[in-house]
Amino acid sequence: MDFRGILDRLQVVGAPGLLGHDLPRPPDPKDKKDKGRGGDPFVWVEPEKLPAFLECCRDDARLSLELLVDLSAVDPSKDDPNLWVVTHLLSLALRHRLEVKCALPKAAATMPSSASVHRGAQWHERECAEMFGITFRGHPDPRHILLPEDWIGFPLRKDYVFPDEYHGISCK
Amino acid sequence: MGMLERQFEENVLTTKVDWLLNWCRLSSIWPMTFGLACCAIEMMAVGCAHHDIDRFGAGAFRASPRQADLMIVAGTVNFKMAERIKRLYDQMPAPKYVIAMGACATGGGPYYKYGYTVVKGVDRVVPVDVYVAGCPPRPEALLEGLMKLQEKIQQSSIVRRPARTA
Amino acid sequence: MVETKDAQRTTADPGKREFMLDVRTQDMEVNMGPQHPATHGVMRILVRADGEVCTGAQPHLGYLHRCAEKIGENVEWLQYLPYTDRYDYLAAMNNNLGYSMAVEKLMGIEIPRRAMMIRTICAELNRIGSHLIAFGTYGLDIGAFTPFLYMFREREWMMALFEKICGARLTYSYIRIGGVFNDAPPGWLSEVERFCDVFEEKWHEYVDLLMVNHIFVQRTANIGVIPRAMALDFGLTGPMLRGSGVDWDLRRDMPYELYVEIWKSGCFQIPLGKGERGTLGDCWDRSYVRVMEMMESIQIVRWCLGSIASGPVIADIPKTIRVPNGEAYAGIENPRGELGHYVVSDGGKVAIRCRVRGPSFTNLAVLEEILPGALIADTIAIIGSTDIVVGETDR
Repeated sequence: MDFRGILDRLQVVGAPGLLGHDLPRPPDPKDKKDKGRGGDPFVWVEPEKLPAFLECCRDDARLSLELLVDLSAVDPSKDDPNLWVVTHLLSLALRHRLEVKCALPKAAATMPSSASVHRGAQWHERECAEMFGITFRGHPDPRHILLPEDWIGFPLRKDYVFPDEYHGISCK
Repeated sequence: MGMLERQFEENVLTTKVDWLLNWCRLSSIWPMTFGLACCAIEMMAVGCAHHDIDRFGAGAFRASPRQADLMIVAGTVNFKMAERIKRLYDQMPAPKYVIAMGACATGGGPYYKYGYTVVKGVDRVVPVDVYVAGCPPRPEALLEGLMKLQEKIQQSSIVRRPARTA
Repeated sequence: MVETKDAQRTTADPGKREFMLDVRTQDMEVNMGPQHPATHGVMRILVRADGEVCTGAQPHLGYLHRCAEKIGENVEWLQYLPYTDRYDYLAAMNNNLGYSMAVEKLMGIEIPRRAMMIRTICAELNRIGSHLIAFGTYGLDIGAFTPFLYMFREREWMMALFEKICGARLTYSYIRIGGVFNDAPPGWLSEVERFCDVFEEKWHEYVDLLMVNHIFVQRTANIGVIPRAMALDFGLTGPMLRGSGVDWDLRRDMPYELYVEIWKSGCFQIPLGKGERGTLGDCWDRSYVRVMEMMESIQIVRWCLGSIASGPVIADIPKTIRVPNGEAYAGIENPRGELGHYVVSDGGKVAIRCRVRGPSFTNLAVLEEILPGALIADTIAIIGSTDIVVGETDR
């Protein structure tokens, strides 16, 4: 199915947390500042409802989005108050993809964990948590995965300050 | 390096003993399997038939540091790994040598500027004898590094004499 | 497969049975790695073992974390290309291709046909090289040294071919945004054809030497079985998924570049694990998929050699690339699975986000589930069959 078909199906089954969608568009000729948006379409979902949404996508026979390809986050800019948590889903049976985005405020970056729906999300969420400072409630194993256990700061945030030294070894 | 280094007064026997000890050491430098990243693949290529490190006597890669003479740090060192490298280096018995293979081990490599967890050169962690440049260095470059190490070993001596300044 | 203490008790004589019942045992935690000859790089697995049987496994990563994603946010689009080589360093051409495709999708540019042909040839040759290493080092882990030396023979030739076309043996940065860096030198295509001819003969050597070898089969069959449901739950892709019998390959199912035409021509098949030598989804099946894929890659290369024509090798793009505002995801079939690049741009010279979805990272998670219950020697076989590259796991 193409994106329009998936979106219609999501609305028909009443997927929990579906807020809206965003399609690529050319720049508005009337607005000089508008850059337009290229690339892929995606759906906006409420962060609190993400596990339920993923479960609905997986279990519905016409959507059949069984494979969680990726769960990561984006810090769009220093001024933006939100982080985006981006999930990519794939359907093997129906050969389509879906991109799901959740806007999470930086001040309260906490949301429920999707590890119960897709086991593969566990490690992706661990990486997200240590890189962006997002807390996934209900995650079975919230340790650091790539960074050392005592690393300070969230490296992939735009306001990250590079450290000067770590355990006696200089970073300069 | 080693218990016998610079222990004796110079006499006619020491030059011969020096030569023999050094020849034995440089002809059988056994490296430890310590490939970290991409340079490890070139190190594997050096170990194979096409480039053949075995003709230098260094073909017996030992898995355990306690049985190895040489640690070829092949790849990027980051903070998590640095502590383990120090521990492995301490576990190696003297005389021990370190070759920093590749740009990452020499000075941080392409991850120098924005790599927050990358150690800018393995010489911040362990003393390095030879630096081999390249990203990754060709197998021939690693062999040249090994030959440079062999030349360095030839300079070591059991005679107690002041350090050369040249 | 695993002999429990009860089985051992029944085989021993009655006198010994009484003695073994009195022995109190305790699980021991053994550290495998980060420096270990058989962990395929710097990875640490904390194994809890009851004697020789593994009762729990916890992989620890991060020993090669090189901040690739942070670097993506700080260097220009084309400057990031060398970093893409270095996460899965065994299949560097494929990484370049994945990143270039994501950026090209967002830029909306069309790649010249000759460039796509050369890209496909390089990607498939690199797939062969990567599977050769997977196969050779797997033999090395199991204890067979000869296949490792044999596979390097073909790999050196492949690396010499790449050196002729782009100057580098391992980290190429050849497939660029818009096409490829430069055209193939004269004589290169006929040398690739000669490589294909010779490789087809040597491939049979690999099968005879290792794949059907009785000891290899005993060491890898019925071990590390990943059922279909577990594979989908963990998000596995690539030979890990196809070894469990799941018929999914991005080159056929979500084709990119020239694969629509190539699949229509019928020149290649998708090998699947069938449980021939043991259970469906065991280590032997995954190795079998990789070895068969090498042959299929040769057929793809031959098709490209037959259909290639002259033309430009790079699209007309400016020297400083500014990618339009937006975001795009491009997934390609890497030798290890689906390599995805998710790029977000705000119209500038530098990316806002360059997320790399490495297949080895996702494939590795399954170890927590399949290692318990295996013998320690089998854990080595299972880790080898996942064919991970730690550069991609840690990025």
